[in-house]
Amino acid sequence: MNQNFLKSKDIAIIAYGETKLERRSGKSPYELAAQVASELLSKTNLRPQDIDGFATNNTLSDCSNPFYSNFCVESLGITPRWLQTTDIGGCSPIGNVARASAAIMAGMCEVVMLINSDSPSTKLGQSYGGFRSEFLEPTGIQGPPGAFGLLMNRYIEKYDLKFEALGKLAVAQREGAILNPNAYEKNRFSISIEDYLNSRMVSSPLRLLDSVMFCDGANGLIITSTSKARKLKSKKMVYPVSYSEITNFNSMSMTPDIVETGFSVVGPEALEKASMSTSDICMFHPYDDFLIAEMLQLEQIGFCRPGEGSDFLLDRDISYRGGLPINTGGGQISAGQPGLAGGGLNLVEGVRQMFGEAGQRQVKKTDNAMVTGIGVIPYGRNWGSSSVLIIES
Amino acid sequence: MNQIRHKSAIFPKPSILTQPFWNAAKEKKLVIQYDPDTDSYQWWPKSISIKTGKMNLQWREVSGFGTLYSYTVTHVPAHGFEDKGQYLIGLVELDVGVRILSFLSGISQENVKIGMHLRVTWEQLNDEINMFMFESRDTGI
Repeated sequence: MNQNFLKSKDIAIIAYGETKLERRSGKSPYELAAQVASELLSKTNLRPQDIDGFATNNTLSDCSNPFYSNFCVESLGITPRWLQTTDIGGCSPIGNVARASAAIMAGMCEVVMLINSDSPSTKLGQSYGGFRSEFLEPTGIQGPPGAFGLLMNRYIEKYDLKFEALGKLAVAQREGAILNPNAYEKNRFSISIEDYLNSRMVSSPLRLLDSVMFCDGANGLIITSTSKARKLKSKKMVYPVSYSEITNFNSMSMTPDIVETGFSVVGPEALEKASMSTSDICMFHPYDDFLIAEMLQLEQIGFCRPGEGSDFLLDRDISYRGGLPINTGGGQISAGQPGLAGGGLNLVEGVRQMFGEAGQRQVKKTDNAMVTGIGVIPYGRNWGSSSVLIIES
Repeated sequence: MNQIRHKSAIFPKPSILTQPFWNAAKEKKLVIQYDPDTDSYQWWPKSISIKTGKMNLQWREVSGFGTLYSYTVTHVPAHGFEDKGQYLIGLVELDVGVRILSFLSGISQENVKIGMHLRVTWEQLNDEINMFMFESRDTGI
């Protein structure tokens, strides 16, 4: 597992694109994808016929269509020789960076358009079978907030959780959203730690301001070989240098410690593959469906020890000005969660920062970025998939 | 039997795989899949043993006793649970070594505690389905 096909920087990310996040936009994921595709092609001077690989996420809004990726490329005028739909929830976008890199290196395609698009605040099409409709939903549990409420109480049983630390994270991300023109407009006002602590309970101890809100939106990248990027005279390039992913972590145990997640495996592994330690990381863009998930990632990737996430957050400046900037664009929690495209939000922010194009929220040190993904709510555990991507300049 | 939920709630729909579980539930018996090759139980129902990959599984009646591993107080009710106000959902560790998600019946926010002793109880949803819940095994709560 420690073989690292990305280490030699043979793969480059040469452009990013993103729509503004909106609530109930009335747009389909195809319309939002087109907006990002147009931006990506314009930035790279490529035409649709120059794209020979296409990767995307499954959507919440059009998942009843079993041929989503096919409809998507037809709507964009792209004829891929490699086409990939990935359905590991919030891990799909960074998972697709790795899958696209592998496909390029295997010679299946040369220039990949990665599009993450979804409009769940306009339309929801999902219907869960299996354990979810028979043994989970009938209990009365309130979806993901219920699962994270169980997780938080178990964390509190094991460790000292300081809610003001989660509040500090909420406030820092909100500051990023205010400075991010693509953030959901109605979220672009400042909040205080008191506002976080006073926000209403959803599935206690989980509060409203612990949580994401569905928006409509899309984002994407152009990924190609470094040699092709040079031929295209790409002005800006960053390189995915390490990726690790795990699904169904700890599955052999019927009674696992639910505080321990797949990040305890993929975090250290991704760092080792890149020959880096956490102190080398210039900025951290963790998947943020709920604030506690970010704290667990800090602990289990190794930024601090288990149980010390609260003090770690309280002890440092985590804004774009600080030593370890976290989710500088507001993250999903403050900028809005574009459904299953959400894992691409912090990915694109990481690339934007590394390109030096983050405007008023630009971080100073941009040698690298760590981006993560979390996917899917399983039965009585923390989450289904965990993944870590490291990008270097 | 105190009705917890409305008909608008999501009711379990048995499959060929899970019908034995719901048949036992009708008689207020809790059965869990048992793997004789590893002498262990697994929950939720699956077609194979996740430890051996073999399809050699049995349904065994268990005591229905367990302890509370974690809980959450639901402030925004799921569909069909609107009349319950705030209610508790628990992750219950059964004495046979599996965890089961469940509505917690008759336990207040003041009295709930991780590690508390629980036992299974049943809510009749219709002629076909008795839904499992857990209640305190200690007196006076």
